[in-house]
Amino acid sequence: MEEASTSGSSVDGEFLENNALPATSLAVEPEGKGLSSSVSSSEILGPVVADMQQLTVNLRSVVGERHPMLMAAADQIFGAGGKKLRPAIVFLVARATAELAGLRNITERHRRLAEITEMIHTASLVHDDVLDDCSTRRGKTTVNSLYGSRVAVLVGDYLFAQSSWFLANLDNLEVIKLISQVIADFANGEISQAASLFDTDITLQQYMDKSFYKTATLIAASCKSSAVFSGVSEEVKNAMFEYGRHLGLAFQVVDDILDFTQTSEQLGKPQGQDLATGNLTAPVVFALSHPHHGAELEALVQSEFAEQGSLERAFALVHTAGGMSAARSLARQEADLALEALRCLPACRAKRSLEMMVGYVLDRVY
Amino acid sequence: MFKRSKPGGEVIGLLLDSVAAAQSATPPWRLAPAGWEDVRYAERVDPFLLVKAEIDSVSERLRRGILSGIPVLERAAEYFFKLGAEGKRLRPTMLLLMASALSTVGPPADFFLSVDERPANIHPMEQRRRQQRVAEITEMIHVASLMHDDVIDSANTRRGLMALNSVFGNKVAILAGDFLLARASVTLAALRDSEVIQLLSQVIEDLVTGEILQMTSTEEDLLSLEFYARKTFFKTASLMANSCKAIALLGGQPAAVAQLAHDYGRHLGLAFQVVDDVLDFTGSALALGKPALNDLRSGLATAPVLFAAQEHPELLPLIQRKFRSAGDVDTAQRLVFASRGIERARELAAQHASLAVCAVEAMPPAATTHALQCRDALLAITERVLTRSK
Repeated sequence: MEEASTSGSSVDGEFLENNALPATSLAVEPEGKGLSSSVSSSEILGPVVADMQQLTVNLRSVVGERHPMLMAAADQIFGAGGKKLRPAIVFLVARATAELAGLRNITERHRRLAEITEMIHTASLVHDDVLDDCSTRRGKTTVNSLYGSRVAVLVGDYLFAQSSWFLANLDNLEVIKLISQVIADFANGEISQAASLFDTDITLQQYMDKSFYKTATLIAASCKSSAVFSGVSEEVKNAMFEYGRHLGLAFQVVDDILDFTQTSEQLGKPQGQDLATGNLTAPVVFALSHPHHGAELEALVQSEFAEQGSLERAFALVHTAGGMSAARSLARQEADLALEALRCLPACRAKRSLEMMVGYVLDRVY
Repeated sequence: MFKRSKPGGEVIGLLLDSVAAAQSATPPWRLAPAGWEDVRYAERVDPFLLVKAEIDSVSERLRRGILSGIPVLERAAEYFFKLGAEGKRLRPTMLLLMASALSTVGPPADFFLSVDERPANIHPMEQRRRQQRVAEITEMIHVASLMHDDVIDSANTRRGLMALNSVFGNKVAILAGDFLLARASVTLAALRDSEVIQLLSQVIEDLVTGEILQMTSTEEDLLSLEFYARKTFFKTASLMANSCKAIALLGGQPAAVAQLAHDYGRHLGLAFQVVDDVLDFTGSALALGKPALNDLRSGLATAPVLFAAQEHPELLPLIQRKFRSAGDVDTAQRLVFASRGIERARELAAQHASLAVCAVEAMPPAATTHALQCRDALLAITERVLTRSK
């Protein structure tokens, strides 16, 4: 899948602080088969290209400059490969809400927030990889694979500590509270996932809660925080939270679908991990309630795939029972709710990008 | 835009001064400032008893907070808190005593001795409750860092018992640590005090810095007392210093008094760590009746060893290779005992303890009898830190 080769950044003559490089140099990773050609991430990131470049530079120095030993790990995790969508969303919300509030530009606080968002996200990934024994992520070898779990724990702790310190220095109690809650949600999510492996009693609501704790919480909280720093109304702040929440949920549902449908190469990590490890996600949750196939699937899951071939059979059942299509509908629902939440924003390139972001997330499975 | 606090620069100076002072071979207590009577504080008051009920209440709240619904995590956390049972509760005790020592309202009402059942993210309206939260947060941060350190250092034992990760596995140790740290963050945010939030976030950063220092030490670092002092500040003293300061600020104290509280915590923390290092040589592991020598076995050269190396340069290569060669641990032990290493380490600890005393004595007069009692208790703690045998 080719990336759009236009330099979308200068289309509307929007003022950019530096000489922005063409969009293709963002080194966005190739997409999977499901991606339609309607929107590319480079188009979406157009309004925030310079912001993102600065972010990448800052993040590498946060880790590498102060502790050279971690520099190698920093390159591994902050280098090319990750799309850094979360901070991009923070920047887009920042620009859109700044527009609404009549600010001339986004602030340093917005930038720190974006950095914090990516640090927290990365810290959780680094620890997750140790917990899940993952050897590849984003197509690259994980920190724990390369340097051992000891370094991975330390790097994760370091990122977390840095982000806590930066957060504290932003000196905004509302944002501090929002973001600290994210950290607790991550831990809770990890824990409740561990507690409910192979538990076929899982309801859709429980799955949605789990998905919120795993993924949506950070996006929601960082969107709202971005709005806080623009000084917009309570209504808009909450709307941004809702945008982030629904976008995050859509993202997680899509991720869960892709775990079934994509190959290891496309995913950048092993295929079918979720079901194999007993993490029951949307397609499975729907399939379990199928009148005909549900019972057999339930039995297979509960057996924890002890028997040879049972995992493959379970996979097939999930497909046959319509688990994928039901999950896709769920993703679409969430996507629609995300779009709705954007209505309070003024028409501008950033808003357009936020809308396109929803399409981008969905496109991976449509 | 963001200022960073300097790591304990004064500590390094103190360490080097104490080396000079120690060479004059004066008995430890003479290093204390004039005015410290010979009457032992510890005989007058038991610092732990004074705040026991409140500590029990805070501990219970802490224990309930770690009920995550995952049996293995709960067992892990309980195992860990039990590991800390002996001689611990030092931090929360110190903090609640500090709160009372600076208080104007007398001993906390019975209400404050009951377990606070409000969730972590609710802002406590009462000043005393907020101070109790600091004790809770401090303990959570401390335990979380120990859990992760054990994974990072691939420790097999902690205090002679099997380390958490050995019993439950690395993953549980990592997750339990993350969980505690997350809960600490939410509790901290709920205090709604910017300066306190910054202080304790600084602690989290300092703990990681200390661990990184330890992990990335060069051969030259390993021989350096200054490096040891810095590392000790980050790993031990920062937590005690900043949490004491937070207590004072939450108690409405002005910056100067908060700084004295900080100094108390810092010097106490340093004294505590140095004594810990000595006990690794002179204490005895339960079963064997022999010194644990855990630090040596882990390749760490602590104060006694670094002092001994000044008299016995043959220790230097052993330190640089982290006592890895066969017989290194025994040789190091022998040389430490053949030198004044332990004695000088004790003197260093005593000097820090006396500086902690100075900090308390420099505070404005106690407002009530209870506050005065608690001041005495803080002084008694400095003695106990020096004289404990385990």
